[in-house]
Amino acid sequence: MTAGNTASEGAPARGWTRTLGLINPLRAVWWLFTNVRFAILLLVLLASVSLIGVLVAQMPGNVRGDAQLEADWLAEKEGVYGILTEPMNTLGLFDIFHAGWFTLLLAVTVVSTGAYVVSRFPGVWAAITRPRKRVPDRYFDLTPHRVQVAEEIDSALLTGALRRSRYRVERWKEGEATFLFADRFQFAMLGTLLTHTAVIVFILAAVVSRVDAFSAELFLAEGASLPVFAESNANQMQVQLLDAYGEFAPDGQPLDYRTDIAIYSGGEEVHRCSSTVNTPCQFEGYRFYQVAYFGFGAQLAVREAASGNLVYRETLALAMRSPAPRVLVSDSAGQPLLDETVVLPDTLEVNGEPLDGAVVRLDDGRALTLLLPERASDDDELLVLDLAEGGDSLRLFPGETAKSAGLSITYQSLDQVPTGFVLDLPLPQDVGGGEGTVSLQLSNVVYGTDTTSEGTSVEAPASGQPELTITGLSPQAVTLEEGTSRAIGEYEYTFERQSEFSGIDVRRDRSDYLVWVGAAAIVVGLMITFWVPRRRLWAKITPAGSSLAGQAAGPSDYTSELRKLASQAGADLQEEPEEDD
Amino acid sequence: MSDTPVDAVRPRPARSFLRRWLYPAAVIVAIAGVIWWIESRDSGGGVSPTGERYGTVDLPASLLIDGLGIGVEPGDMAPDFLLQNMAGEEERLSDYRGQPVVLNFWATWCAPCRKEMPQFVRAYDDYQDEGLVIIAVNQQESESIIQPFVEDYGVQFPVLIDRDGEVGEEFRTNGYPETFFIDGDGIVREHFIGPFESSDRGENVQGAIGQTELESKIAGILAPSGEPR
Repeated sequence: MTAGNTASEGAPARGWTRTLGLINPLRAVWWLFTNVRFAILLLVLLASVSLIGVLVAQMPGNVRGDAQLEADWLAEKEGVYGILTEPMNTLGLFDIFHAGWFTLLLAVTVVSTGAYVVSRFPGVWAAITRPRKRVPDRYFDLTPHRVQVAEEIDSALLTGALRRSRYRVERWKEGEATFLFADRFQFAMLGTLLTHTAVIVFILAAVVSRVDAFSAELFLAEGASLPVFAESNANQMQVQLLDAYGEFAPDGQPLDYRTDIAIYSGGEEVHRCSSTVNTPCQFEGYRFYQVAYFGFGAQLAVREAASGNLVYRETLALAMRSPAPRVLVSDSAGQPLLDETVVLPDTLEVNGEPLDGAVVRLDDGRALTLLLPERASDDDELLVLDLAEGGDSLRLFPGETAKSAGLSITYQSLDQVPTGFVLDLPLPQDVGGGEGTVSLQLSNVVYGTDTTSEGTSVEAPASGQPELTITGLSPQAVTLEEGTSRAIGEYEYTFERQSEFSGIDVRRDRSDYLVWVGAAAIVVGLMITFWVPRRRLWAKITPAGSSLAGQAAGPSDYTSELRKLASQAGADLQEEPEEDD
Repeated sequence: MSDTPVDAVRPRPARSFLRRWLYPAAVIVAIAGVIWWIESRDSGGGVSPTGERYGTVDLPASLLIDGLGIGVEPGDMAPDFLLQNMAGEEERLSDYRGQPVVLNFWATWCAPCRKEMPQFVRAYDDYQDEGLVIIAVNQQESESIIQPFVEDYGVQFPVLIDRDGEVGEEFRTNGYPETFFIDGDGIVREHFIGPFESSDRGENVQGAIGQTELESKIAGILAPSGEPR
């Protein structure tokens, strides 16, 4: 038996023959994609471009696709990048991860890495399953890990020692010589391929995420539902918000947000769960994250007085704020007659100055008029007119107290009450001709109180049930306590309750599974590559002497192992081991 | 040189065609099949008590009109469907042949649908004695959500549930609300996209009583056959 490739037949073509071979386009592509240098170039390119994508500001999602917003955003960036802004934009550097060439780069990297793995696999597999069991004699003289002794060691003892060390051993005789081939953990050669495969899986995950990922944001009031998909879909789902929960520390810091939701599909409730920012509710591969909370909603219903039929029911988000003075009024005996935040729904003009005002009735039946400048701040005075007693008018800054007409009046603070406008509320025919705009102000609620949610109050405590003041329904503003109704014209208006809102982000990204697979593959692949002690050993034993040669994956002192094995097989190894080449 | 193997080494047979091509192809086909199955699953529109599938159905031959095709454009014969109403009974559009039908596609989460619903309630009160039928086809919602809405708004006309949206798709609805006006012969006379505004009042021929857009379209299908619509 001869060892080694001595003939040039079958060897890769060199020089002009290879050049001619590459003229075949398919072969040229295959050669390019299986070229290690090309793969490394791609990976370096990918890493560099990704780094640029991290360092250079990327266009936000809500800007992308809107020509005007994009132009404004780029104009802003000119302050940073100057004359480079336009060329950078043309190259797609402000939207790298959505640029077509980036996707192309990813795809080429996947193909190249895949081609590399595919091209190497047969060789690796052959090396594992059909290893070279016979090496030329010169190999015993040249390999870095070798032991040579001038005596015949016991091949049976060597075989036993190897098998105890979990080697697979084959032994045969050729004339007077006994040959041994032994290997251990050869499957570890697949570790590198597994690591490469992980790279492919990661990149595929990015592609899948880009192509297949779904995201939708729903903003819901308690009790309301919304569909997940904007377009008709046979697998349509609806999300119903059962309860939104916000909890706050006394200093106003949010402690906890949670949302209970029900999911419907095909006309049936299919799932019910709780969702938070970090622990989403999950159903059929979709994740439902809570991404927003809003505590100031007013559920308002309008019924036809004659039929009792509902004609309007909406939960209105009162996202604006309007100033409202918190006032304490006591009589001469110190008995409180009013202690609340007063909503100022009326507007009037005094000496050309627009004022917001309200007439409030005290517990003893008297009435006060409170006036503040429009869009008042803490620097503005509260004007108090005592209509009943004809006393002097008062001007108070926040924190001040004054007495008039037997009343002690304290302007405690300037609060802000949630406010909003409704454009399409049904109105009595004699008011707005059937439809018009009204303003709503919600008082006696504080973000995070018991009435808003189950948390601790953030600001001043509420002085009673939430009240909704509606301006524009009738000549006078109408104030409704929670759960109460007022008939005006042909309609009955009901402030059903204060309500909270939650923002729910619905996401599906099936690339998650690929990322897990890729992560597992890369960890397992690296562990196999670095920690599994792969070994391969050849031995030639003759009466004139014995030689052992070996290969070990990774850095190791395999020569010492070989010396130990030789000793166990009866070799007399007293002298120092010779230096490895 | 004579080799005497101590442990025999058997050469592996060459890979057969099966191993090289057929097995990998089978694996790929299997994976593709699983993905297709997962993707193609839908909740379905359910099955009626008589065993018939809810959704679009063939228009009975006896109701077809020569020369008219089935479609949703004005002048077409409206496609037939079988759906469940709020009482759990099955209803077909063709059950109402001979009566003018206002077919409204809606959902409770759709704010414009909510806003226009009182107009349908009023219109039904006003025109049911003239044979008008209003059918509200809810899109893919649960009865537990629809029922309180129907009660609160005083809806007396049939509310049908299109659980998988198949009927909505057959009528090529792009959004909600959308309303079809179908005459007594089952012919689509108008297709209205968007909500009806109660404030959009024109004047009738006498120029005296304001008429909403919904009312004017209803008048179009109430007109006896043969008269200009």
